[in-house]
Amino acid sequence: MSPRLARIGLFVAAASAPVVFVLVPIAAFLIMSFWRVETSQLVPDMTVANYAAFFASDTYPRVFIETLQLCAIVAVIGVALGYPIAYLIWRQHGRLRYVLLLLFAIPLFMSYIVKIYTMRSILGLQGFLNQGLVTLGILDQPSLLFIYNRLAILLTMAVIFLPFAILPIYLSLERIPRSLVHASADLGGAPLASFRYVILPLSAPGTIVGALFVFVLALGDFITPQMVGGPSGFTIGRVIWSQFGLAFNWPFGAAMASLLLLVAFVVISLAALIARRQRV
Amino acid sequence: MKTRISRRGFLAGTTAAGLTLAAPAIVRAAGGELRVLTWEGYAEPEWVEPFKAATGAAVSIVYVGSADEMFARMQGSKGADYDVVSFDTSIFPRYIDAGLLAPLDVAKVPNAANLAPAFQHVEAIMRDGKQYGMPFGWGSLPLVYDKAAFPTPPDSWEAMWDPQYVQQVISQDDANNCITLGAIVAGVKNPFNLSDADFETVKAKLIALKGNLLTFFAGFDEGVNIFAQNGIKLMYSMGEPQVPALQKLGVDAALTIPKEGAIGWLDCWVMSAGARDPALALAWINACLDPAVGKVLTEKSGYGNTTNTAVNDAAGMTYGDRLIWLLPAENYEKRVQVWNEVKAA
Repeated sequence: MSPRLARIGLFVAAASAPVVFVLVPIAAFLIMSFWRVETSQLVPDMTVANYAAFFASDTYPRVFIETLQLCAIVAVIGVALGYPIAYLIWRQHGRLRYVLLLLFAIPLFMSYIVKIYTMRSILGLQGFLNQGLVTLGILDQPSLLFIYNRLAILLTMAVIFLPFAILPIYLSLERIPRSLVHASADLGGAPLASFRYVILPLSAPGTIVGALFVFVLALGDFITPQMVGGPSGFTIGRVIWSQFGLAFNWPFGAAMASLLLLVAFVVISLAALIARRQRV
Repeated sequence: MKTRISRRGFLAGTTAAGLTLAAPAIVRAAGGELRVLTWEGYAEPEWVEPFKAATGAAVSIVYVGSADEMFARMQGSKGADYDVVSFDTSIFPRYIDAGLLAPLDVAKVPNAANLAPAFQHVEAIMRDGKQYGMPFGWGSLPLVYDKAAFPTPPDSWEAMWDPQYVQQVISQDDANNCITLGAIVAGVKNPFNLSDADFETVKAKLIALKGNLLTFFAGFDEGVNIFAQNGIKLMYSMGEPQVPALQKLGVDAALTIPKEGAIGWLDCWVMSAGARDPALALAWINACLDPAVGKVLTEKSGYGNTTNTAVNDAAGMTYGDRLIWLLPAENYEKRVQVWNEVKAA
């Protein structure tokens, strides 16, 4: 076997896994979104009726837009929490920096469902938050203010996806040469001015990438809203989910999933573009 | 596709999967063999062993966890792989239309005389004057309440709509069950066959309920935990077993079937169109209608039985005649859509 042939063989072997496990399922989805259902049977077809039905609905497009808004707010909260943490880690020296970084990455190794339950037990009527507030005398009695509403969704998602905000922000901070920060100080820049004119602009790309990561992850999450959101925990992910059970309208579900995928793809491409420009 | 009432999910996670794999191995030479396709709890040793001794036949049991899986197994062999099957009344048309069931020769099931009055004339198991099933086990989707808040049981589902209990009410999240309950409470004549106008009525009714809910819950344990942790007073329950589970967590809970009625599910034994030995299959169905079997079913599994009223009464399951037995609904896709609209409102 010639080295060239061997190289091609190796490439095929390496490429086959993502093709089989990622591209083929996605392609199957896209194809199914053009099918239709007739008397509980899937019928292969080439119809855009599912997409038309989505845009004609007076409920689903609204739920889609509300979900996008929700995820945008989650992204903003994620960055608002993530940036100070990443900055704090970056300001540390030596081993402490990596210990802290590891500490904030540990939730990544935990089960996602466990994290939701944990958040629920923190925010719930008998949760730590309420107990703390009652003990401190801030509340007279435990409140349902923090659970089974929109606030609970925002808080839970922001916390669950926090590591995905912290890591890209930290990476972009670490790329800033210390000499630039020193130069700013040498030229008389107060710490706040150095931050405002040097650090913040240079870490902006990583911050935006972190926000987009959180946005996309929140977009695909239909369990958190349902579990902590109460009556307001209804998102487009849940609409898609509902088409695969009792309703048995897989093609309609596939069409909505394809639209969701399209939005996620655009957002990820944007993140990739920003990340690449930073490297220059 | 129909999905099984989630009570099955409760059991399925535990042992059904393992048994489904293991059970087909229990096969003996053809001849005296009965092949049973059923839910967990419906073919217990307490009546399987006496049946084996009485008939000399072997019994092979296959458990499944969902109605869809059960139908797929029957459809796959056109019924030839099984002799007797059990499922609830709402799925009968699907099986009869597919030609998977054989009508029962009621004369060969003398124990049918043991059936309690509420189960002697079930319309859903009849087709063209022929009877296709024998009622065996049942349960309901009741209103569960906290006795501390209700010294006397709430007499109407409307209690869930009472603004006095805002954020102290939770509901299950099944599209079909919720639409059906909305129709029952709104007084729609046939809650399983809604017109477009009915759907609008039900939708408005359910949107009003949503304003009173703390949250929906998805699963037996989930409902029990949310109830216990958040001072809930009323719950549209997924089934009787949630009450003892709540009591175990220290909630003084009870269930009631309000005056409007409540959804009931009624599982029946049927004979497969491909039954190898119809006489043996009928003997099994007959054996299951022994009041002694009903006693074990209720005391061991917590399901209502159809033959032993005294045991039902002792277990508090006195309301079989006030339940609205599940029927196939007019359009499941429409129900999911309306339910989505309620949740998005």
